[in-house]
Amino acid sequence: MSWQGKGKTAIVGIGYSELSRRPQKSLGALSLDACRAALDDAGLPAEQVDGLATFPEAPFHGAGTQDGEQIVSVEYVMNHLPLAPDIRWYAQIETGLIASAVIEGVNALLAEACEYVLVWRALHNPRGRYGAWSGNRAPGDAQFMAPYGCTSIFQWHAMAWQRYMHRYGATRDHLATFVTNSRRNANLNPNAYFYTTPMTREDYFAARWIAEPLCLFDCDIPVEGCVALVLTTAERAVDRRHPPAYIAGYGQNTSRRRALFHYSLDNYMESGHSLASKLWASSDLRPQDMSAAELYDGFSPSTLYWLEAAGFCGQGEAYSFIQDGRIALEGELPVNTFGGSLSEGRLHGMGHIAEAVMQVTDRAEKRQVPSASAVCAIDGSPMLRGSGLVITREP
Amino acid sequence: MAATQEKPRPLIDDLTRPFWEAAREHRLVIQRCQDCRYFNHPPRSVCNACHSAALTFEPVSGRGTIYSFSVMYQPNVAGFGDELPYLNILVELEEQPQIFLVSNLSEVQREQVRIGGQVEVYFEDVDAELTLPKFRLIA
Ligand SMILES: [Zn+2]
Repeated sequence: MSWQGKGKTAIVGIGYSELSRRPQKSLGALSLDACRAALDDAGLPAEQVDGLATFPEAPFHGAGTQDGEQIVSVEYVMNHLPLAPDIRWYAQIETGLIASAVIEGVNALLAEACEYVLVWRALHNPRGRYGAWSGNRAPGDAQFMAPYGCTSIFQWHAMAWQRYMHRYGATRDHLATFVTNSRRNANLNPNAYFYTTPMTREDYFAARWIAEPLCLFDCDIPVEGCVALVLTTAERAVDRRHPPAYIAGYGQNTSRRRALFHYSLDNYMESGHSLASKLWASSDLRPQDMSAAELYDGFSPSTLYWLEAAGFCGQGEAYSFIQDGRIALEGELPVNTFGGSLSEGRLHGMGHIAEAVMQVTDRAEKRQVPSASAVCAIDGSPMLRGSGLVITREP
Repeated sequence: MAATQEKPRPLIDDLTRPFWEAAREHRLVIQRCQDCRYFNHPPRSVCNACHSAALTFEPVSGRGTIYSFSVMYQPNVAGFGDELPYLNILVELEEQPQIFLVSNLSEVQREQVRIGGQVEVYFEDVDAELTLPKFRLIA
């Protein structure tokens, strides 16, 4: 039996700000651009919005949290848009990434706490070296890593991928297929940072190392900008400007971790499965029912882990599964049809949700998967935290 | 141009002090639950396995295997610029699965490092206040 909320809420508008490395506008102004664009896309006056949700986390530890400049909070949007005079509900979440904010919005709508929810994800691109460690005293768990020069999330992803390659026999050549496929899709996505920049396999192999075995193009491209969406109930969704994209199911990563150090590869299957099993149970759909999969790619291997943990292929099989055009737009399971965070830009999963909406409403233009009926969007990394949605054409 | 920057140092707190004080004496100790015998690292106030608060530090052998490794090319961390690219290893101690310490692996060629490689602890005295446990390959 599927979840009783299946198909009872829908995303009815998507808005992008400009995505660039060094914008002229503040992050706050870009976020208002995205919110206004989402409302316009929905054909909804701002004063009807009575619910707000976001995941405002800074892009990395120590990146700054000045509201309107480095993050964009609920309070900022509440104070800078002519929304309903009485905001009835809001949530500013700290875990699970942006799909969790959408999930909160869905629950609020089902509980009749509000009627129209605006959800946004604003991402700042700090000046200076991305992810640089600034302190000379390392507190908490970092005291066991920073003195050894191991402070960045990409170093942990590099070690997890090294372990994966060792365990299953994957190589850099396999990963190149995924990264170049994402770039090909981004070249069909006008919102993408790399819209006009193609990438060959040779380009991929020529990229500099960041933390071996991960190179520059295995890391998502940090941008500054915002994507917003409008969520409402299925009844209210029908007379909007575009067809609704229904929320068929959702899930969050809820596994318990024994190991305390950052994370290792060993629990990615059970951990990712804790999210995916809820996705499939709530939506009453299976991996085979997905017309496409938008799977988080903060670092390229994460998408491979998700393919396995969500059941699109078996454990240790993702690197071979993605070969031979299987995940291309024309393939049996198109993956990251918009280019992903690797090639559209680092939006912490919001781009994945926006693309799932575009696909099931036939609005993906040159990258449209024909008659896409159901698309999943999963945020995060299976070893860490995450949340996901199944988005469908029909309720 | 500033002189070589100092590397990050641990901000030692009540939970972690026994680890660092033992390191000063060239001993490797890991916090262990006295109820279920689970090793917790980094140290915690409550056992991650059974949620007991009966936690004390016990000596460990200092031997382990390389669970994984990476080679860092980015000058993200102060004081490491002159050492780029440098190796980081994740050591799984022999006492318990999934109990990890991070280390560098100095004076070792990238080609000599492999997952599963055996390592043992040694102690690098940084100055009068700080000693870092590090690991080296066992021949
Ligand atoms: Zn215990």
